[in-house]
Amino acid sequence: MTISIWRFSHLMLALVSSLFIVLASITGTILAFEPISNQLQPYKINSNISLATTISSLSESYDEIITITTDENNFVVASVITKEGDSETFYVNPETGEKLGDLIEKAPLFKFTTNLHRSLFLKSTGRFIVGLVSFFLILMAITGIVLIAKRQGGIKRFFSKIINENFDQYYHVVLGRWFLIPVIIVAFTGVYLSLEKFSLLPETKITHTYPEVNSDEIIKTPFTDFEVFNNLKIADVKSIEFPFSDDVEDYYFIKLKDKELLINQYSGEIISEQNYPLVKLMSQWSLLLHTGQGTILWSVVLALVCIALLFFIYSGFAMTLKRQKATKKITNKFTKDEAEYIILVGSETGSTYQFATLFYKALIATGKTAYITTLNTYANYNKAKEVIVFTATYGEGEAPVNASKFKKLLEATTQNQSIEFSVVGFGSLLYPDYCKYAEEVHQLLNSHENFSQKLELFKINNQSFDAFRTWLSQWNIASNQNLKIQQPIEKRSSKNTRQFKVVQRMELNIDDTFLLQLRPTKKIKFQSGDLLAFRPNINEAARQYSIAKVNGDILLSIKKHDKGLCSSILSGLNPSDTIEAHIDYNSNFYLPKKAKNVVLIANGTGIAPFLGMIKDNHKQQHIHLFWGGRTHQSLELYADFLNEAKNENKLSQFHVAYSQEQEAKVYVQDLILQQSDFISKHLQEEGIIMICGSIAMQNSVLEVLNQITTKHLNEPLGTFENNKQIKKDCY
Amino acid sequence: MKNIKLIALFAVVLGLMSFASLAESTKYKCMIQMTNYTGEGAYIVISLLNPEGEYVETLNVKGDDDEWYNTVESWWQFYGKKRSDIDAITGATISGGERSISVIEIDNDKIDKGYKLRFETAVEDQEYYESDVELELTAENVKSKVEGTGFIRYIRMMPQ
Repeated sequence: MTISIWRFSHLMLALVSSLFIVLASITGTILAFEPISNQLQPYKINSNISLATTISSLSESYDEIITITTDENNFVVASVITKEGDSETFYVNPETGEKLGDLIEKAPLFKFTTNLHRSLFLKSTGRFIVGLVSFFLILMAITGIVLIAKRQGGIKRFFSKIINENFDQYYHVVLGRWFLIPVIIVAFTGVYLSLEKFSLLPETKITHTYPEVNSDEIIKTPFTDFEVFNNLKIADVKSIEFPFSDDVEDYYFIKLKDKELLINQYSGEIISEQNYPLVKLMSQWSLLLHTGQGTILWSVVLALVCIALLFFIYSGFAMTLKRQKATKKITNKFTKDEAEYIILVGSETGSTYQFATLFYKALIATGKTAYITTLNTYANYNKAKEVIVFTATYGEGEAPVNASKFKKLLEATTQNQSIEFSVVGFGSLLYPDYCKYAEEVHQLLNSHENFSQKLELFKINNQSFDAFRTWLSQWNIASNQNLKIQQPIEKRSSKNTRQFKVVQRMELNIDDTFLLQLRPTKKIKFQSGDLLAFRPNINEAARQYSIAKVNGDILLSIKKHDKGLCSSILSGLNPSDTIEAHIDYNSNFYLPKKAKNVVLIANGTGIAPFLGMIKDNHKQQHIHLFWGGRTHQSLELYADFLNEAKNENKLSQFHVAYSQEQEAKVYVQDLILQQSDFISKHLQEEGIIMICGSIAMQNSVLEVLNQITTKHLNEPLGTFENNKQIKKDCY
Repeated sequence: MKNIKLIALFAVVLGLMSFASLAESTKYKCMIQMTNYTGEGAYIVISLLNPEGEYVETLNVKGDDDEWYNTVESWWQFYGKKRSDIDAITGATISGGERSISVIEIDNDKIDKGYKLRFETAVEDQEYYESDVELELTAENVKSKVEGTGFIRYIRMMPQ
């Protein structure tokens, strides 16, 4: 399997460093608790005390002071010689000079873990490995940014909604965005600290010049009058070393956050003042940011980063394995020159492969000679009568990795006979370049002399199996075949599965559509916009219907299809029958409670969730409903309902379009276009538009909306989609 | 009778020992000033050597991670076997350019008797100096400044 250079690097770096990252993350999580536990010690000080106060109170209590330091926890540590002549070091109260407690000894657990974390107990070799892995982590973060930008369709869409294809992938991307900056900080500081350890940073030592002193002219000022000592707060002093002896050439040596000072011990004069170079300051920051010393909040973030890294490793490898499984080479039964049906696949993540494989198996099962391969291995096919292309799109309309060479191969290869072709595009409507590459392939084949089109380009949104089945029936009709495809059964949690009792079932209307009212036998939470998934039998995949919540019951609007297993069963139900079904929550398609104005657009049975939303509109939100149906009679099913809502002021406006009533067909998107002014004003005032119904309708409506926003508001529709003003639930 | 003699002998021996350990000692303030080398903090051990150059006592240790003690090679030969408790005289390592002041205690009867003070230094992945500073214990020297030959720029001592 070929994968793009970015994904390849991302994966390789992960493979190489995973073991160390796991180790570093686990130890890192433990180490994050060290600064937290230190911070909880009761040695916090009043940071407004001046250095002069601290020195004078300490010198009363002890024989001699050697150093005073303020550590990263803001605890003051004094190293003194006691009146008994012993040298001791402990935490002090900088105001009174009183001893607060002995130094916190690094717990053996933290000592052990620190060692493991930074050198794996391999001393310098280990340090080098850890530093290198940190560097790899930076590279992984960078390749990760590129990968997210690519999958989202451009860097500008970096923060737009992520398609939830599966748990691992979704959270890999979601957490990847949240933790991007902290991970880079941790990795960068890790590298920086390693460089420092190996002395690979520019020299940072600063030197002070010691002046010649004429010891005759000593004027002794008491240190309590020293200007520096009175101006400096003890909290700002990282350390102060006291003069070793009475010799005037022994100085006070003070380290602040950004500089060092030498102070004459008799005059209090600053003898030398040197600022730290940037490299040194960065080292200090690196240490703080990497260890979380001194702040509980950042330590918690660091702990979370470690946990996130573990998750990245797990989910990353889980995805890779899944992808490998999905694209596992199918052993072709026939060679490329024996097969009549050639299936070409362009897949980035492997999911398109699953559909292609199902189709391949169906062909083989009916005794056809078929051959399946990637677009990149396109060649001359001796016996081919038909080519079927299944392809996804990558990034901004680019070819998926295993289709990158197809265009050139197609130009370079001539077929001996004329071949029919069909193209099925896979993608997601959430991306602006929906199925763009499939369009390109369709175009290429269409203009190629060896190929003739069998079916129109067919686009499938979010791997909808229903859509795939629709395409298959089109193909079956066109080729006078009857291929059958088994939908792989997904496992469902039984948590949201319930028995539902039929309250009412309407007769089929002129469009074979009916309403079905169901009542859950056991309490379950749901609302209008959620989906009811019904599985006709254990071997079949579930079919989803949009729910309207009406007086606590579920109301579904269902169109009976001649061969539709689900709709046939449901249309045969009688009151007090029970069925088992499952509720899929669909919170993206709830009526926003705060919006004053809402435009609802539907065709056919897509009106169902809106019926519930309108019925529940107790807050008198202004709801404008646009609906497209076939005839007047189509509307009768919903007429009572809508009239009642209008009378109760729950529905402000209702626009309807009939496609079969008059000579010129009128569709719901035509109504929208007529109301351009209203729609553009609505969007400008941050109103919400919800669309429910067929994909074809949705695409036309989106197109019209885009025309309106571009013309009237000078903005592409995407702006409003990003602003979450457009909600879609189409099939 | 025999027992009484034995007890008497013990008493004398004990008396002598306690007398020895009660010998007068003096505390000295000792400052170590490091050179501006780069790299990890240095492990420094201050030891007392007898006139034959053998280790007698460990006076001070800079560096509290015993994982690295064996890098202070000569001293490790002496200390490593017995591993006496040195917690009370152990402090943190000192990095390049830094200084550190500690208090060491030396029996007065070791002064001017040919005993020596040795400052032994070692830095992770860098050199080891068996006698970075070595000075004879004389009444004069314990108030002096002595230049180092390795990581130590100089040491200064002062009786308290």
